[in-house]
Amino acid sequence: MNAGWAEALPWTIVLPMVGAVLTPAVAARRPRLAGTWAWGVLLVASALASGLVYQLATTGPFSYDVGGWAQPYGIELRFDHFSAWVLPLLLLFVVIVPFSWRYLDHVMPDERRPAFYALLLLNAGGMIGFCVTGDFFNLFVFTEVVSLSSYALVAVGGRGLAAFAALKYLFIGAVSSLLMLFATAQLFALTGSLNMADVAGRLADVGGGPAVMVAFAAYAVSFMVKTAMFPVHVWLPDAHAIAPSPVSAVLSGMVVKIGIIGMLRVYQVFFAADVLELGAFNQTLVWFGAISIVMGAFFAIFQDDIKLMLAYSTISNIGYIVLGLGLASPYAVIGASVHVFNHALIKATLFLAAGAIIHQTGLRTLSDLRGIARRMPQTSAAMAVGAVSIVGLPPTAGFVCKWYIALGAFESGQAPFGFALVFGALFIFIYYVRMLNAFYFQEPVHDVVIEANEAPWSMRAPVIVLATLCLVLGVLGGIPLSFVEPAVLELLPFWGN
Amino acid sequence: MLLFGLDLDYVLVVVLFCVGLYMLVSKSNLLKKLLGLNVMETAVFAFIVTSGMIEGGDPPILVAGTAAPYASPIPQAMVLTGIVVAVSVTAVALALIVQIHAHFGTIEVDELKELP
Repeated sequence: MNAGWAEALPWTIVLPMVGAVLTPAVAARRPRLAGTWAWGVLLVASALASGLVYQLATTGPFSYDVGGWAQPYGIELRFDHFSAWVLPLLLLFVVIVPFSWRYLDHVMPDERRPAFYALLLLNAGGMIGFCVTGDFFNLFVFTEVVSLSSYALVAVGGRGLAAFAALKYLFIGAVSSLLMLFATAQLFALTGSLNMADVAGRLADVGGGPAVMVAFAAYAVSFMVKTAMFPVHVWLPDAHAIAPSPVSAVLSGMVVKIGIIGMLRVYQVFFAADVLELGAFNQTLVWFGAISIVMGAFFAIFQDDIKLMLAYSTISNIGYIVLGLGLASPYAVIGASVHVFNHALIKATLFLAAGAIIHQTGLRTLSDLRGIARRMPQTSAAMAVGAVSIVGLPPTAGFVCKWYIALGAFESGQAPFGFALVFGALFIFIYYVRMLNAFYFQEPVHDVVIEANEAPWSMRAPVIVLATLCLVLGVLGGIPLSFVEPAVLELLPFWGN
Repeated sequence: MLLFGLDLDYVLVVVLFCVGLYMLVSKSNLLKKLLGLNVMETAVFAFIVTSGMIEGGDPPILVAGTAAPYASPIPQAMVLTGIVVAVSVTAVALALIVQIHAHFGTIEVDELKELP
């Protein structure tokens, strides 16, 4: 089974999508079957994805020509070190779906479950496609698959307010997607090609100039909106806080990351073409990243709603990743690439633990949830592990990446940003300490909290697995770091510094 | 055709885009915002279609008597896909607006913001 795994590449995208379309049919008689079905589909897809990663590790990046049409005329699917993100992404889905089985009981009536799981599978399929496509127009189409399913997932559980949050997300998201389509069209008009590798080659002939700059800027702004960087973050807090908790975990952990992956893809093309002087752009990223870290953490301090607090914390962590990318030194970029995954893991832990608490008590603010740790020790412990992890204390998953990004800041001689990063971590520390203080050391004020029981096993197990992984990846943090290292080092010589 | 030294079609596309963006940002009615979004989409589609045009080019269909240069057929395929995406976005947005109206009884943003 050597070269054979490349054949699995299109199936990894197609399987969740076909699974999504079939969900309502499969679960027509028994709506609760939809959850098991979605889980099965995701398990098979992750098996395929591990085959792809195995192939990548043994033979290096590989491509697949869709329909047998040769590049650059056909559509190319390409699996490189950044695409390897599909495996952890699918594994996180595999953990999150069992959590949602019981969680959905109080969110929606049974007959709406098939639609929920269909959207979740569609979302997973879109993200896989986004990560492995080697074609700019496909990048846009997969973005829209992910975005549309995300808008619907935000609204799926609630009534009016959820729909309003989803609509706000939709308007901003649609404008950013339009910018992306415009940038794609601009590149096509300039080079006559949509294949990424081909565009890179042809751009070198076209040379620089304002037209290329406009295309790059449109991509950059579009991806900044998708990742919810500070000035354009307004859609994120409401949408992520109001969605059902498993959806919040997916949105906060993974969907915002498509902006980062997209940015890396565009970087690969523009740096290979070497037509733009991107030092100034990197500097902009660094500044926006630093501002996002501080402002996200600052807003989070004042939140009483735990999910809203976690949503603001996402903005601040995206700031870390963007800061790392902008610093453009090997350590920082490796740290940022790995934080894409580690943050997804940590945020899934936190949102699922918060979801378990909300499910058991029906309360969602810190002041109402005082003393919950007495009645739900395991969930609270998982929440504590997540909190320590996201602050970036050793020996947890968050430490490794933030340490690398900080090292990168000092390595590239931009020490002030290294300090900004540490101060951001302090801010984050403050609000998570507030949370842990409320959970562990304050007297309960509500009868529900005094009588609360630990969540059912189907919800507790995913939370515990994720929290354990946060610790394990803190100890074995070197493995993902050394995995992305070759890809980053290959990219860096072109990085405008 | 040139206008102030700029291609007229590109000028029109930019104007159309800005009109749509203005509607999206400034209107309070959610339906009008959605219409603004659709106008912006149309502007981008128009831009894509014009980019495939070649002065004096033939349609890229093989019949007797056609000769190079050919107009590029790819932009039309792109726009077709783009329209499908735009329709889906509009459908989801309309569904959400219906839900908002059913729940709050209004689709004006300034009234929605005053609700508790």
